[in-house]
Amino acid sequence: MGKAREQPVSQWDRYQPDDDSPWNLRRVVHLHRRAGFAATWAELARDLKDGPEAAIERLLDGKACDSPVGNEFEAIAGLLGDAVVASDNPPRLKAWWLYRMLFSPDPLAERLALMWHNHFATSNRKVQSVALMREQNDVFRRLGRGRFGELVIAVVKHPAMLVWLDADSNRKEHPNENLARELMELFTLGVGNYTENDVKEAARALTGWTVRSGEFREVPEYHDLLPKTILGQTGDFAGDDLLRMLLGHAATSGRLARRICELLMGDGVAGDEALDELGAGLREHDLNVGWAIETVLRSNAFFSEANIGSRVQGPMEFMVGAARALELFDPPPSTLLLAEWGATLGQDLFHPPTVFGWTGGRGWINTRSVIARTNFAGALADGSLSNPSHPPDLPALARRRGAASDPDGLLGFFAKLLFGVEDAGELSQTVGTALAESNEVTLDSAGRLVAALLGSSRAQLA
Amino acid sequence: MATRREFLKTASLVALAPTVPVFLQRAARAAEPGPDDRILVVVQLDGGNDGINTLIPLRDEGYALHRKQLRVPEERVLKLTGDVGLHPSMRAAADLFESGRLAIVQGVGYPNPSRSHDVSMAIWHTARFDREEHKSYGWIGRALDEPAVESRGAGNSVFVANQAMPMALIGRRSAGSSLTRLDGLMVRNEAPRTPLLDAGAGGDLAAFVQRTALDAYATAEVLAEIARQPAAEEAYPSSELGNQLKLVSQLIKAPLPARVYYAAQGGYDTHAVQLPVHARLLRELSDAMAAFLNDLRRAQLGQRVVVMCFSEFGRRVAENASVGTDHGTAGPVLVAGAPVRAGLHGSTPSLTDLIDGDVKTPLDFRQVYATLLEDWLGLPSEAALGGRFEKLGIL
Repeated sequence: MGKAREQPVSQWDRYQPDDDSPWNLRRVVHLHRRAGFAATWAELARDLKDGPEAAIERLLDGKACDSPVGNEFEAIAGLLGDAVVASDNPPRLKAWWLYRMLFSPDPLAERLALMWHNHFATSNRKVQSVALMREQNDVFRRLGRGRFGELVIAVVKHPAMLVWLDADSNRKEHPNENLARELMELFTLGVGNYTENDVKEAARALTGWTVRSGEFREVPEYHDLLPKTILGQTGDFAGDDLLRMLLGHAATSGRLARRICELLMGDGVAGDEALDELGAGLREHDLNVGWAIETVLRSNAFFSEANIGSRVQGPMEFMVGAARALELFDPPPSTLLLAEWGATLGQDLFHPPTVFGWTGGRGWINTRSVIARTNFAGALADGSLSNPSHPPDLPALARRRGAASDPDGLLGFFAKLLFGVEDAGELSQTVGTALAESNEVTLDSAGRLVAALLGSSRAQLA
Repeated sequence: MATRREFLKTASLVALAPTVPVFLQRAARAAEPGPDDRILVVVQLDGGNDGINTLIPLRDEGYALHRKQLRVPEERVLKLTGDVGLHPSMRAAADLFESGRLAIVQGVGYPNPSRSHDVSMAIWHTARFDREEHKSYGWIGRALDEPAVESRGAGNSVFVANQAMPMALIGRRSAGSSLTRLDGLMVRNEAPRTPLLDAGAGGDLAAFVQRTALDAYATAEVLAEIARQPAAEEAYPSSELGNQLKLVSQLIKAPLPARVYYAAQGGYDTHAVQLPVHARLLRELSDAMAAFLNDLRRAQLGQRVVVMCFSEFGRRVAENASVGTDHGTAGPVLVAGAPVRAGLHGSTPSLTDLIDGDVKTPLDFRQVYATLLEDWLGLPSEAALGGRFEKLGIL
């Protein structure tokens, strides 16, 4: 990955810890909840000690998490994925991805894959192929932090997308505008940067793209050879020409900057000026996503007070982050159950609701999802998600990390672990009822305490 | 029934709430239902309902001619007019008709009918005939895509049957949400109900989360209260459709903000030994629909809800050799609820003047859709249906 140290931009000045924004537990927790799936106590302690440079370096290099399966992770996940494809069983495909999120040493790659799954929202409802959906998912992972152009080309020429957006029915005699429209509106330029006529003409440029024997093919007989006028340029454009024009357009870099800030920045924290700067930087760096991610993660803006606790956690971040922070690795929660809970919380993996993907942000929080999150927190903390059902020994976790085994000690520890909150006093009202009954800490009362913390509004925001 | 307001009178949550919850703001508005409070409930009859034995002709000699084994004797038919009557197991629907809450649109279909379940259902779902368009968007999804529809967090349409989401609800922007059990909206017994009151987390976003959570807990409390009421439960038949419509009623009472609910009843593909199966299906449909509408009427919500029942096609006029019927074309669409103009609409299809053994199709299903979208939900229909269709006087 290229380093961008030579040309810092003003909005994205590099973060240097000082008295106003010290490198403390709160910021370490913030980094992991925003860019990964939270962190274990050991990972937090390690990064607190090593400082922001090293902590961010590890995230970028895919070494942020001490995977419980160690170096075997990719081999195991690969075998699991192959077995899922052989079984052709959609629920197992979702479970496979949750396995990756829980156990990968590289949480940022999975967060980026989620971002791209949302950006290129493709649903197995129509694709109807576990194999193709998994392949597309692997493309998100393989190319997700490289040059955006390579990613777009790989995704739109992949059969999953071609089936999803009806490429095969786009022929010169009867163009189908589906792929052309979503390519312009959703994948690159964004609405307002093209006309309806551009969509029609782009659809003609894309005629001939199709799937044969499960692979992308360009069929010359279906292609419309007549000249097209797209975005003010006229020529006998084909699909690749169209992609080149869209990728070179300033609106595309702007849209990409917005996507990356949706991932890493809080609600409304990055203003227009910051987005413009990031977009301009992306253009200078050939739409290198990794460059933009690094720029944001290392910035003052990322670690600013306004950026902490100001983004709604998506269902996956919420669920997997809780399981990881609590070190529920042995036994882990059932990944099949996690996938089902994900759907209940509003994110059914591989089944985005529309071509726009999930609304995200405040859209994650509604009557159903709030109740689902509360119920999930309870189920996770009382162990009913693992198979066989097994209450996690949360008091033992706290003890191992040096916390006192009374209610106050427990609250203090979990407030630090989950939220990076040093003074648990401000949370005592939240969890007052969970522990009030007795001074004795039991598996049960510790579970209720953690469920109360995970159900709080603070836990929904990161 | 416990209203949210009653619940909140006693709820300690209110005293602790940081802001006024959304539903209280809503309750503060006018009590009369506006156009946004109107709800459409679609009941999909899967498999192709035999319309001829649903709304039975009494004066058509074609009936006795084509239906020898499957003929319902005239004395058992529940007569609505001198010319037609309902299947004998539809007593509850006949009562709805009598009390002015059931409109029956006769002979509804479309030109060049497809006899494939999938294709014909896709046509009804999308209101499009081009196969290429059958994988895109549905008529309700497109209608709810209209800019006029305010975005509602919980989703504008809710699918309550335990099967794949029907294409009808899928729009480019709007998507149906699936909910088959009330459990999804119940807080686990042991879960703490106060965790939303997190004084430490500040800001507008935190306030939004807390407000929504307070709203959600109140909704869950009301739903739990509704679920505890045995009276409503007894009134519903214990069929799958009965359960679905009971759930819809509970959600409407809660209230969820959805404009459209979608239920489904399977089993209408009666190729063999049709009589007992069809009688059971029609009884389930009619009993469930009547229980639902009576329940809503008791809750004083009757003026806000219209039910529409359709099937992907009717069945052939002539019975087959297996005492069943094969795939046909047009059939009746039932539109029920207090707001409808009850009675028969359209003309009764003739069973002697046939095309290839099927009844003619005097009415286009998109006319029914256009009427429901514009005259009931107050939504434009042209983009949703791909054209303008003459409306029917059913509302």
